[in-house]
Amino acid sequence: MTLSAGTRDDQVQAPHDGAPPPAGRSRRTTAWPLELVERFGLVLLLGGIVVFFCLWPATSDVFPTVANVRNIAANESILVIAALAALIPLVAERFDLSVGAIVATTSIATAKIATEWELPLVLAIAGGVLVGAAIGLVNGFLIAYFNANSLVITLGMSTLLAGIGVLWTGYQTLLGVPQPLLDFGNLSWLGIPRPVWLLAATALAVAFLLGFTMFGRRLLAIGSNEPASRLVGMPVSRTVMLAFACSGAVAGVAGVLLLARTGSAAAGVGTGYTLPALAAIFLGSTTIRPGRFTVAGTLVGVFFVAVSINGLTLAGAEDWVEPVFNGAAVVLAVSAAAVIAKKRKRAAR
Amino acid sequence: MGTALEFVRVSKTFPGTRALSEVSFAVRPGSFHALAGGNGSGKSTLIKILAGVYQADPEGEVRCGGSASAADSVTPSWSHRAGVRFVHQDLGLFDTMTVAENLFVGRRYPRTAGAIAWTAMRRAAQECLDRLRVPVDARTPVGSLRPADQTLVAIARCLFDSAGGEVSLLVLDEPTARLPQAEVDELLSRLDEYAANGQSILYVSHRLDEILEHADTVTVLRDGRHVATRPVAGLDRAQLTGLIVGQQRDLVEKREPRPIAPEVAVTVRGLSGGPLRGIDLDVRRGEILAVAGLVGSGRTSLVETIFGVHRPAGGRVEVNGRRLRPGSVPDAVAAGLAYVPEDRARHAAFTNLGLEMNLSAASLRRYRRGWLRRGPELRDAAEDIRRYSIRAPGPRAALGQLSGGNQQKAILARWLRTRPAVLLLDEPTQGVDVGARAEIYTQIEKAVDGGTSVLLVTSDLDELLHLADRVVVLANGRVTDTARQRDVTREWVATRMFDAPQEIP
Repeated sequence: MTLSAGTRDDQVQAPHDGAPPPAGRSRRTTAWPLELVERFGLVLLLGGIVVFFCLWPATSDVFPTVANVRNIAANESILVIAALAALIPLVAERFDLSVGAIVATTSIATAKIATEWELPLVLAIAGGVLVGAAIGLVNGFLIAYFNANSLVITLGMSTLLAGIGVLWTGYQTLLGVPQPLLDFGNLSWLGIPRPVWLLAATALAVAFLLGFTMFGRRLLAIGSNEPASRLVGMPVSRTVMLAFACSGAVAGVAGVLLLARTGSAAAGVGTGYTLPALAAIFLGSTTIRPGRFTVAGTLVGVFFVAVSINGLTLAGAEDWVEPVFNGAAVVLAVSAAAVIAKKRKRAAR
Repeated sequence: MGTALEFVRVSKTFPGTRALSEVSFAVRPGSFHALAGGNGSGKSTLIKILAGVYQADPEGEVRCGGSASAADSVTPSWSHRAGVRFVHQDLGLFDTMTVAENLFVGRRYPRTAGAIAWTAMRRAAQECLDRLRVPVDARTPVGSLRPADQTLVAIARCLFDSAGGEVSLLVLDEPTARLPQAEVDELLSRLDEYAANGQSILYVSHRLDEILEHADTVTVLRDGRHVATRPVAGLDRAQLTGLIVGQQRDLVEKREPRPIAPEVAVTVRGLSGGPLRGIDLDVRRGEILAVAGLVGSGRTSLVETIFGVHRPAGGRVEVNGRRLRPGSVPDAVAAGLAYVPEDRARHAAFTNLGLEMNLSAASLRRYRRGWLRRGPELRDAAEDIRRYSIRAPGPRAALGQLSGGNQQKAILARWLRTRPAVLLLDEPTQGVDVGARAEIYTQIEKAVDGGTSVLLVTSDLDELLHLADRVVVLANGRVTDTARQRDVTREWVATRMFDAPQEIP
């Protein structure tokens, strides 16, 4: 009973309440260089890798060329946008394992609308994004209002969409994508590949959404302490549902870009983005603002893996290197993130 | 025959307070011995010393079964070897596991050729249950049992080996606090049987009726001192209340009564659901209404239900004439309600977010002009840090870096920023140091002077006497008493809480 057991004991158990202990301050100042390494470690590592591939004889001919840089940036734009899609619900501690499947489904939808229904390209693109948003809304509704496990629901959705993709395309590859869309996927503006412009715009939009809107702040609060979010009057369920809808829409953008880059749509193409996307986010959560899922961190995460693999491939590495590197990076990054989180929790105590 | 348990001059000093001073008493073998006392009387400290959770001051001694230990060197394993078994308020059962599995937790599962012998295990568990007359099947998952049966299973786990005489004392810490009345009697009659069969029981409770009807001996602690150990026979309710409450003087000077506006800010009518059984309340504008009550009285449920955390089974809440949507926190917040919950870490603090975000969490909307404006948000945070003397490295420092007292000030500041019509406070200064406590009181009083109404739940009688304009006593989900500030004394509150009728026919 709190009446008899609570007050006095609790009081004396926390005798140093009040000002933070003086030791904390000095420890914080001495920890500065370490904290800097923690915050910018991955960024520095990325820089180091770039310098290394620029100097290494096996790669120094091709790696530092403009063409190669463009190639990396344009190739990774789809993955970056898919990762930004997964990032939104992850801020509220919900996983979206269906981003890859949504990318695949929306690219098929866009291709269908543009080629079979022969509607204007703008409608096809809007259609693709809307299909993504609708799928996300279904995910979000089930997860938010039935309090269902996000991992299971989105994994199920992912499988379901794979089947629907096959049903829709009937094992055919959809071709005949309108030329303007192909141009968007493969040409440049001001010397920068057009997909990179889209990448930048999407990154800015998601960063704005997360950092400068009530919606983003609510996601952050839910991710931090869900019961407390409810108790300050935040509409937790609605926010979670909308997070998945936004995630679906952004994945839809990635799906349209996939169609633009490859010029074709087929069932199953794009599903492979889910794990690398989550990997990049977790990798990114160890840097810049350790312990938090951020847009900047996600960009660093994607390009850290992409640049490394690009360099290794140029040096003649075989195909198996990519999944091994990707997988190892994630396992190490998530372990590092767990260690950081534990340290943080201890420091907060 | 000796004693089942004996405390000899056991003291416990915490920095700044003496929780127990030279407590001595003994429990006879086979006795149903009650341990009673009010807020801060030291009974839970004593239990924790017996369990080896706290170390007592050096001079005393604890004797149990055949063994004795210096009071400062009681360890959990000594206590276990001496045959003391505890059933805490949190029973420590695993809801999804069966009764049999729960009984064998911490024991070696019976095995044949390395594999668990489920049949043998179930049979042994069922034998134990039958012997102790616990009316459940060993195969049932614990989560599906009634609360009283769960308690009995927890007791059975303690008494599993008692046939071999290993359990010298069974300690029960407020086992009935969470039980419905009908199940309380069942549990107690079973305990009577165990005692009649020779099992010594130390029963910690604040429910006078249970003590008077079931225990044979009662020990009363007050302010860390041993008041009396005497047979229950010949003791009546009033005498027992007198022992528990004592002759208490009011330590704080009575302040001048606050001027209170005649308008009613909050109207609660017939509110029921959970432990609440039809609550009627009025809080006037600029008034602090304190709710006093023991655990299980429904204090926390009352504020949570008013705030919309639980959907009430019946009744209504009005704030300034506007009826609140039942079970909707956003609607309560929109109507001007604010709630500082008891469990800060779980229900209020965003520990990994910055102080500025914690402070603005309940008033985000005002920083939205097209988008969220960080500038004004940070400026307001700096302002609040100054106004509420929150000691923090800066407005962006993570809340978790702050001390408990400063976190609590921040949570209060979060809600005061919304200029609430009604502030619901559940144990607002629990675990907060004296300095922060005084600052929190000042801020509450300032808000009240500005017209805010406060509904205060507190276990701290000094806090209640210091802040309250009016006090209602809650027992068994009903308001059983009410008094104005000038009539309220420590003695009145304590007596009314303990003396409230505990059974409603």
